[in-house]
Amino acid sequence: MRIFQKTNFNFIRYRKIAYGFSVILLVAGMVSLVVKGLNYGIDFRGGSEVVIRFEKNADVGQIRSVLDAAGVSGTLKQYGMDRSFLFSTVFQGDTGQLKSLVSNALNARIQGNRHEIVRIDAVGPSIASDLKWSAVKALFASLLAILLYVGIRFEIKFASAGVIAIFHDILTVLGLFSILGGLFTFMPLEMDQSIIAAFLTIAGYSITDTVVVYDRIRERIRGQKPSEYERIFNESMNQTLSRTIITSGTVLLSVFVLFIFAGPAIRGFAFAVFIGILIGTYSSIFVAAPLVYDWLRITKSSVRLRGSKIS
Amino acid sequence: MPSMKNKRFNLLLIAVVTLVALWSLWPTWSDYSLSKQLDSFASSQDSLKYVMSHREEIESARKKSLKLGLDLKGGMHLVMEVDQVDLFEQKAWNKDGKFAAIMQNVRAKATQSDARVIDIISAEFKSENIRLSRYFYDIRNSDQEIVTKLEKESEEALTRAKEIIRNRIDQYGVAEPVITTQGSRKIIIELPGVSDENRVRNLLKGTAKLEFRLLSEPEVTIRTLDRINTYLAQNSQNSAAAGGVLPVSDSSAAASASLPPGGTPPLAPVSKQSSAKPLYDVISVSPYGTAFTAERSKEYVVSLLHRSDVQALLPQDTELLLAAKPEEGKVGEKLYAIYLVKKSPELTGGVITEAKATFGSQSVQPEVMMSMNSEGTSKWARITGANIGKRIAIVLDGAVYSAPVVQSRIPNGNSVINGIGSLEEAKDLEIVLKAGALPAPVRIIEERTVGPSLGADYIRAGMLSLTWSFCAVSIFMLVYYKKAGIAADIALVLNILIVLSVLAGFNASLSLPGIAGIVLTIGMAVDANVLIYERIREELAEGKSVITAVTQGYDRAFSSILDSHVTTLSAAFLLYTYGIGPIQGFAVTLMIGTSASLFTAIVVTREIFHLLLAKNLMSNKSFG
Repeated sequence: MRIFQKTNFNFIRYRKIAYGFSVILLVAGMVSLVVKGLNYGIDFRGGSEVVIRFEKNADVGQIRSVLDAAGVSGTLKQYGMDRSFLFSTVFQGDTGQLKSLVSNALNARIQGNRHEIVRIDAVGPSIASDLKWSAVKALFASLLAILLYVGIRFEIKFASAGVIAIFHDILTVLGLFSILGGLFTFMPLEMDQSIIAAFLTIAGYSITDTVVVYDRIRERIRGQKPSEYERIFNESMNQTLSRTIITSGTVLLSVFVLFIFAGPAIRGFAFAVFIGILIGTYSSIFVAAPLVYDWLRITKSSVRLRGSKIS
Repeated sequence: MPSMKNKRFNLLLIAVVTLVALWSLWPTWSDYSLSKQLDSFASSQDSLKYVMSHREEIESARKKSLKLGLDLKGGMHLVMEVDQVDLFEQKAWNKDGKFAAIMQNVRAKATQSDARVIDIISAEFKSENIRLSRYFYDIRNSDQEIVTKLEKESEEALTRAKEIIRNRIDQYGVAEPVITTQGSRKIIIELPGVSDENRVRNLLKGTAKLEFRLLSEPEVTIRTLDRINTYLAQNSQNSAAAGGVLPVSDSSAAASASLPPGGTPPLAPVSKQSSAKPLYDVISVSPYGTAFTAERSKEYVVSLLHRSDVQALLPQDTELLLAAKPEEGKVGEKLYAIYLVKKSPELTGGVITEAKATFGSQSVQPEVMMSMNSEGTSKWARITGANIGKRIAIVLDGAVYSAPVVQSRIPNGNSVINGIGSLEEAKDLEIVLKAGALPAPVRIIEERTVGPSLGADYIRAGMLSLTWSFCAVSIFMLVYYKKAGIAADIALVLNILIVLSVLAGFNASLSLPGIAGIVLTIGMAVDANVLIYERIREELAEGKSVITAVTQGYDRAFSSILDSHVTTLSAAFLLYTYGIGPIQGFAVTLMIGTSASLFTAIVVTREIFHLLLAKNLMSNKSFG
């Protein structure tokens, strides 16, 4: 079976349209980040969260008013699909107190519908700032590592374009998180540790796709004249198109399964990875390789690639 | 084609890896089937009999089986922080007002930034132009030397705190606790399957600093309280005239002095600004010199006692402490006794060698009997002998448990803590006393608790995701690549086996993010095969024979595969290095899975093709 029979798209000619599309995506994301900002989860903001599950269907408004009446201030949201609610409030060192407060209030006021507190998380403000910092460090360290590795294996123009593509992917996902944050009850899209894990996964995977294209360009560009570059870039991308799509496809399949089955705790992560891999596949064809092409064209330099094919 | 020898080596390698993976997962399988069997028994007697007869088998299977993470099993994850400011304060000597002021600054800064406490301290002292040696260690030491010493001190304190917390948890009895330190002041505690979280929390957070302190004479207590009362009355009149706000010396006192929720108490301190006896509105004193405060005004009294201007009114080397437990008043209200005790203890808990929770001889009140080492015994004998007729308060973590009158000299080093609410609490006291006192207070800064029912849900969700993801990807490979897809699917199965067996073999636990990592691995592991197969298709399209196409496909795809795997691995590795807790679980499975796929997707599938080619079972159509 084949999805793509011999293709012959002129990716390089239409690259400007792709650039425009990417810029619109990024600008929309940035605007939303500035205007609306991000929803931070308790990992990064500090606070306490209680997940309460009821035996039968319960009304959010009723529970909210019961908790309000008991003097527990915070926000209550539907959590996942199965009669669960997420109550979040400021950080309390003694979660036992919070638990009994919530429990007593619900027991007293909502009869005939038993509840269970299935999860409590409390993150102190100092931990939250620690977590934020290590997330930023991990992200930049991985970008640096990728830049170095690809720089050594190919050359610095390829590496830089690859890292720009990663930035493009992560910023797009970040922008989408800001735009869509809080719109869906089944996925809150809050920034927490798992989203950082998603970003690193996206970074690793985006460069994977890019490297496949680069590898083919490297294989074919050796000893060619710069005037041939456009043809070689196009042919390389067409030749690798089906493997780029299929490798991404199998991962998308897995991540989609995670999104559907793995429950609300993983859903934000799965969403981020799914979008990230879609964008990453797009960017390896429409951003990374064309950027290298433009760079070579503008600087009028020829490619001196390291690394050799093994045969 | 690889040489015959090389080929044999690869086959052997595959066989060994498969066998090791299966062997490492065998206990997990037998643990699973044993517990299935246990569940199937109708009566508990049958299952007990079965457990007795298969005890060794069950235990060894359980010990070596794949561990489930806290989120899947249910349990508590706690991060506790050692209060270094307090620790360093303890180490200082000839402390004065200046020192206290600086340390207060340090404390304020330490809660806001995550810079090291020792750095904050040395910066503060430097800005005040005071050498550290004025308060720490030897006057001849340089600042740098003192910083080094204090650093060592805090390292030791962290290790000691970890050991003491381990002792407490071991005595309480939690199966397989994991206790580690992180950085210079954090202790991470993982307690799987804990049912009574509240009790564990209380057990962990107390410093367990036991002190025996002399009580001041009743007259002194009454005089002191009078003095505070007069001072407060004057002060409140002044401020009532000035602006009508309750005088508070610092903002923390103001915050805690605000009224507790639940309505305004009749003895509302705030509304009594111009009262002639502001203290005696919240404290009542019996003629015998015992002071009490009602439960509703306790918080206010505590905040009052913490004010530095109030503390300045106390006699030299004394402080006012509240009782740990309330007593019942005449009309059933709860009253906390207030004691004026000497600041420096006569004896501390370090001398306690044994503690035992029992019921008291005359009453049904639980109590804890303690015995001391020889040094403590002789000291205790001297102290009790010198203070017959006086009262000695037994203070634990700043709360007075009891203050008995010394009847006679106690020669055998025994003492008793009473005034304990329940036998359970007495047992917990026994545990913390035996484990010893923490070098400095600790507090919980992060807690994640997952109930067992949610854990079961997570397992179900994880298994569903694994199954569906495996089915979707492997069916896709079969449909898209036909016969070659079979090889990729076999490699995929081996890949999952390797991930699980490495986790089981290294005693790592599988968490929900870990399962997510495996699911993602399933999608990524076949990537290498896709790259190879697509390359082989290209070679075939160029009209090469199957054998050449396969060989060149593998060789030419190798460099892309290597590059893409290295980048994924480095991202996962950094995630593991900088990530914390659950995220590490994800990073670990992703790393194992990606590395394993280098082996399974390249070596294993290649050997399969060699076998098929040798048997002439491959054709141009085999790659779909």
